[in-house]
Amino acid sequence: MTLTESLKAQALEGATAYQQRNDTLSSLRDAGRDALENLPFPDKKSERWKYTSLIKLQDGHLAKQAHKTSELSTADVPDFGGAQLVITNGALPATLPKIDGVIFSTLSADNPSAAKELTPFSGFNAATLQDGLNIHVAKGAQVKQALHIIYVGESDTPASAATRVNVTLDENSAFTLIEHYAGTGPALTSAITRIHVGGNAELTHYRLQSESAETLHISELDIQQQRDSRVRSYQLMKGNVLRRNDVRVWMNEPGADLVIRAVFLARDSSHVDNNVCIEHASPHCTSDQIFKGIAGETGKAVFNGRIHIHPGAKGTDAQLSNKNLLLANTAEIDSKPELEIYNDDVKCGHGTTIGQMDSEQLFYLRSRGVDAEQAKRMLGIGFINELILSLPNEAIAEWARDWLGESL
Amino acid sequence: MLEVKNLHASVAGKEILKGLSLTVNAGEVHAIMGPNGSGKSTLSNVLAGRDGYEIISGDVLFEGKPVADMAPEERARAGIFLAFQYPVEIPGVSNMEFLKASLEEIYKAQGKEPLDAVTLLRKAREACQQVNLDQQFLKRGVNEGFSGGEKKRNEIMQMLLLEPKLALLDETDSGLDIDALQVVAKGVNSLRRPDRGIVLVTHYQRLLDYIVPDFVHVLAGGRIIKSGGKELALELEEKGYGWLEGHGA
Repeated sequence: MTLTESLKAQALEGATAYQQRNDTLSSLRDAGRDALENLPFPDKKSERWKYTSLIKLQDGHLAKQAHKTSELSTADVPDFGGAQLVITNGALPATLPKIDGVIFSTLSADNPSAAKELTPFSGFNAATLQDGLNIHVAKGAQVKQALHIIYVGESDTPASAATRVNVTLDENSAFTLIEHYAGTGPALTSAITRIHVGGNAELTHYRLQSESAETLHISELDIQQQRDSRVRSYQLMKGNVLRRNDVRVWMNEPGADLVIRAVFLARDSSHVDNNVCIEHASPHCTSDQIFKGIAGETGKAVFNGRIHIHPGAKGTDAQLSNKNLLLANTAEIDSKPELEIYNDDVKCGHGTTIGQMDSEQLFYLRSRGVDAEQAKRMLGIGFINELILSLPNEAIAEWARDWLGESL
Repeated sequence: MLEVKNLHASVAGKEILKGLSLTVNAGEVHAIMGPNGSGKSTLSNVLAGRDGYEIISGDVLFEGKPVADMAPEERARAGIFLAFQYPVEIPGVSNMEFLKASLEEIYKAQGKEPLDAVTLLRKAREACQQVNLDQQFLKRGVNEGFSGGEKKRNEIMQMLLLEPKLALLDETDSGLDIDALQVVAKGVNSLRRPDRGIVLVTHYQRLLDYIVPDFVHVLAGGRIIKSGGKELALELEEKGYGWLEGHGA
């Protein structure tokens, strides 16, 4: 049996545990199983999976559900000033937080996800979903209090947990969503977040992936932007056994504006893969992305950034930068920007660099008494400092500096 | 304090210093002058321990201890300070953060308690003032976007804060206008003390109008070919380096 076939068999086995459940998610799970039956898991021959192998999933993560009860206490979770919501191994808490202007509800087949299950991973996610969450921000609501979702996937043996969150911002609303992944053990988190940002609405989004090194994480983030909407997405992550983030943003209507700032670190033997696609499907939209990556030891980081400018999307301004720092000649960074432009009237720029630590800078710091290790750490933090400084939430910036700094 | 004995050193496999000897005692100011390519910068870099600068033979002793096996940071902690000819820019690492890290290490090596944040900031501001550097520079990245003169003054500012036992200035005067030169000289002069040695490596006699050395050495072909008092610098200025060609070599 090939890896692809073996993963399919395991995923279907995992899905059977949910098959007998008769609740509002049943039809969604059925659709997920259909997708699993029909869509093969990718292998290295698939262009988008060329640099990321799924071999680590062979230990059976897909076949079993994670069900260790969390020992997480709120004291372990950094306080970023928002209302906290902890989702443990895919299960929602008994009570949902209360935030003015925001309506929470559990996902049901009556309000299915905006997108279909187009990949085996979203199929698996649907087929093994325990709970799903809808977040609805009312028209015109300027929500001051952030929502801080903490996803905890925990397991002692290889297993998985699916999470799915749908967020809708109605017209003219403003909302801050902090998604914080903080699992431990050989747990696979299958995470799907789908966000719809209505006309002239504004979303500030944080995606912090601080799961421990032995975890696995495969996620899809889908953002739909309507007329004049604004999205700021800050994505900070460290590599683990397997980390793959697929991000797709659709600029559906004119005037939408997107900013992404991201940092990824792959130290030791960890892996991190970001596959980002911006669909400029409408005129006069702007996207501005900066991704900074650092890889050390035998770590591997992959960045694939695609900008797709559709035929009618005149007046598009799309910028993409990916700068990388290699700390060892055994580390690997694969960076691939892709521009696909079907319109003449656009401003589009991309740049990728991969460099090493500057020996002049290192000597300068050392010649003033700073030891080599600390000097490297200072230069590593210096490399990503502009992105940390750009984080609007100071508590997150402070946390990020320490958390990223301890791996530099 | 510093004893360099018959030093042969190479850069990228090429021998640059060919039997250099120099003794600097505490309280003395030495000027090392020489034409381009004479080995001035190689000497500074060998003393500070830069990678790629290799001692082939001879000794470099600082306070009686050989420095050859000491890492650059160990030399700094022992009290050696090199003001760079071309200070590097380090975006993302603020000057203040850098000064804090540096001072902490150097104080620790000296067995002193680290400065608290308020005292550190006050001292850093005072040092900036001494070299006419705007305090805003403390918040900026190390040397990031600084002009040539600002970079050199930033070196002197750090030297004032770190109070080294031995200060090496590698062509700190090069490229400075007369106002900036005076500021740099004032900073260096304020550091003259009976327990501190200062070595000025320079191409131009002009610096020595403002910092009067006790000894002047002429470096050519990787060796010191003539030593004398401050009047030697004036003689050099008058007659040019050509005057000494073939001298003692």
